Amino acid sequence: MGTTAENIYQLRPVSIVRSLPQIKEHRLFQLKLEDGGTWDAFGHQPGQFVEVSIFGVGEAPISISSPPTRSEHLELCVRRAGSVTNALFDLEKGAAIHIRGPYGRGFPLDVLRGKKLLLVAGGLGLAPLRSLLLYVLDRRSEFDEIILMYGTNNPENVLFKYELLSFYDRDDIRYLYSVDRDEEGIWKQYVGVVTGLFDRTALSPQETYAVLCGPPIMYRFVLERLLKLGFPKEHIYMSLERMMKCGVGKCGHCAIGDKYCCTDGPVFPYREIELIKEAI
Amino acid sequence: MKGLAKKDLLSVLEGWRGLYSVLAPLRREQGDIVVDRLDSDRFTLEFGKPSLSPKGILLPQSEVTFNVEEGAYRETPAKGATLLFGVRSCDAMAILQSASFMTRDKEDIYYRSRFEDLAIVVMACEGPQNETCFCTTASTGPWLRRGFDLQFYDLGDLFFVETGSERGAELSSGEQFIDITDSEILRKIEDFREKAAAAIPVVHEVKQSMTMLQDDGVGDDFWNRFGSKCIVCGGCAFVCPTCTCFNVYDQVRGEGSGQRIRTWDACLFGGFTREASGHNPRGSQALRLKRRHEHKLRYFNETDIQEALCGCVGCGRCSDYCPVHIGTLEVARAIVQSK
Ligand SMILES: Cc1cc2nc3c(=O)[nH]c(=O)nc-3n(C[C@H](O)[C@H](O)[C@H](O)COP(=O)(O)OP(=O)(O)OC[C@H]3O[C@@H](n4cnc5c(N)ncnc54)[C@H](O)[C@@H]3O)c2cc1C
Ligand code: SF4
Ligand code: FES
Repeated sequence: MGTTAENIYQLRPVSIVRSLPQIKEHRLFQLKLEDGGTWDAFGHQPGQFVEVSIFGVGEAPISISSPPTRSEHLELCVRRAGSVTNALFDLEKGAAIHIRGPYGRGFPLDVLRGKKLLLVAGGLGLAPLRSLLLYVLDRRSEFDEIILMYGTNNPENVLFKYELLSFYDRDDIRYLYSVDRDEEGIWKQYVGVVTGLFDRTALSPQETYAVLCGPPIMYRFVLERLLKLGFPKEHIYMSLERMMKCGVGKCGHCAIGDKYCCTDGPVFPYREIELIKEAI
Repeated sequence: MKGLAKKDLLSVLEGWRGLYSVLAPLRREQGDIVVDRLDSDRFTLEFGKPSLSPKGILLPQSEVTFNVEEGAYRETPAKGATLLFGVRSCDAMAILQSASFMTRDKEDIYYRSRFEDLAIVVMACEGPQNETCFCTTASTGPWLRRGFDLQFYDLGDLFFVETGSERGAELSSGEQFIDITDSEILRKIEDFREKAAAAIPVVHEVKQSMTMLQDDGVGDDFWNRFGSKCIVCGGCAFVCPTCTCFNVYDQVRGEGSGQRIRTWDACLFGGFTREASGHNPRGSQALRLKRRHEHKLRYFNETDIQEALCGCVGCGRCSDYCPVHIGTLEVARAIVQSK
């Protein structure tokens, strides 16, 4: 059977440099390659993902949260959701695990370059979107205006809080965020679903590209809003989630119509999936 | 062109064992037909359409992909060359189609190495093997135009043997194989092919249903009706020669060691698409059946192999074995009736 290097399922050893608590049940893992390779050579693009493998438990697809412009560590922001993610949370600093990747089609940097960007994230959707966000901030001059809209269900669940707060000090990114509910009355920003943020900022749909990342319910409402505002369909991109086993277009779990989310996506131009009924 | 006397077949098969692990149709004690390692006492030519397709030769129902020792993943080694004797053309086409899928873009080396090491010896069909055969609709049979190593035509006491590759030429270079130049026999082959094809009627509903599915012309009510009947056994996918979806799991032997294994899976199961959050993009049996049939009749993988449908090769096994009659033929006919 071919050499190991040809095997699309072959794993690479990594170690956990840090496991940083984020919000409840979410952690940011910083990884180091343990086979002599570098993250530069890994060559990931914003929006791509890796399969994280913990032997005995299995594999899970996780978005790469860090941009290629920051290649000291690979960062994964993980929610404790089931067997693999639980096992990951139980590991100590320095623990050895495996990954394979990078996989999938990321955000269309060539299309976005030079354009105004509207990034809309809901909940853990910020994890993949952060790789794009930090990328455009690191290469700020290559992009026009940037607006980030981020919605979570309540104030305790804001991911990357300090990073986001630091954006208020910058004048080259507009940052709006919302929480669905604020029972304790501590939230100073907008309370309501993320689409409410559209009423609070002026957008120029013809010149702006919208990139969405969040739960399916968010897509329905945000899409409706974008189209009503006059965003051309060609200006809308979204990252989709599906159950994935292989990540390389073979196991069939992630199929969406005639596409495979793992190889044709996870980032799709809206145009490609608008007619596929089961897509959104 | 070659010929082989029927009485010499077994000795040829036994001879091939020197180079290959020879798989052939066998009749078990209880009368079941299985395709397994050649056992000369059980070998039979009356094997019809074996209940299981040959897909498991290339994608075993369960297969170890890595042996894991002390946290290191070691690829399992290849097993060696196999010869598959007597495969029907629809099933052979399914192998070609699956090979094209499994090795395109990112190559699945487990599948590829088995495929490269597989000699395919087709047995052309003289007519339908049972009432569910529709290879003439799917353009996959009753004989193959290319993609085989050897193709046998049963002419009574003699097999006409067509060579499709260099490997096939080598396999048929033994002294039992006689050269055929007799134009009489060539005419007989033409005759065989014409009669065979004519005996297997084209099922127009399959093509009509494909058009309707492509036009999004089949409503939710339709799938709900079938969804409420399905007992979610997954049998349709397991007997299907072109279903290659798989699941992956780990078998632990000790601390950091054991095996990573993949097994057949089926899109009919709710857990196939359910995400960790609980969200399921195909949340009902109706949607899952719709998916299965759209994958076969709408989103098939386009390949240029013999202009075949490819998503479905027309073997009819789903119609043979679904306990509640939700095979491709039944669904296609119902789609057309629902118009
Ligand atoms: C492209 C992509 C990017 C993702 N990015 C992130 C991220 O950045 N952070 C994060 O926390 N989560 C992310 N997820 C979701 C994450 O993959 C699941 O939460 C995770 O697989 C759950 O695995 P588990 O073993 O802990 O849970 P279990 O429910 O025990 O899962 C068992 C098995 O099911 C599979 N599985 C279950 N749910 C999913 C799912 N939603 N998607 C794919 N496979 C699933 C896994 O392969 C796993 O082996 C992403 C999913 C996809 C498809
Ligand atoms: S064989 Fe029939 S009952 Fe079983 S899963 Fe398939 S359609 Fe459903
Ligand atoms: S995850 Fe296996 S095909 Fe996409």
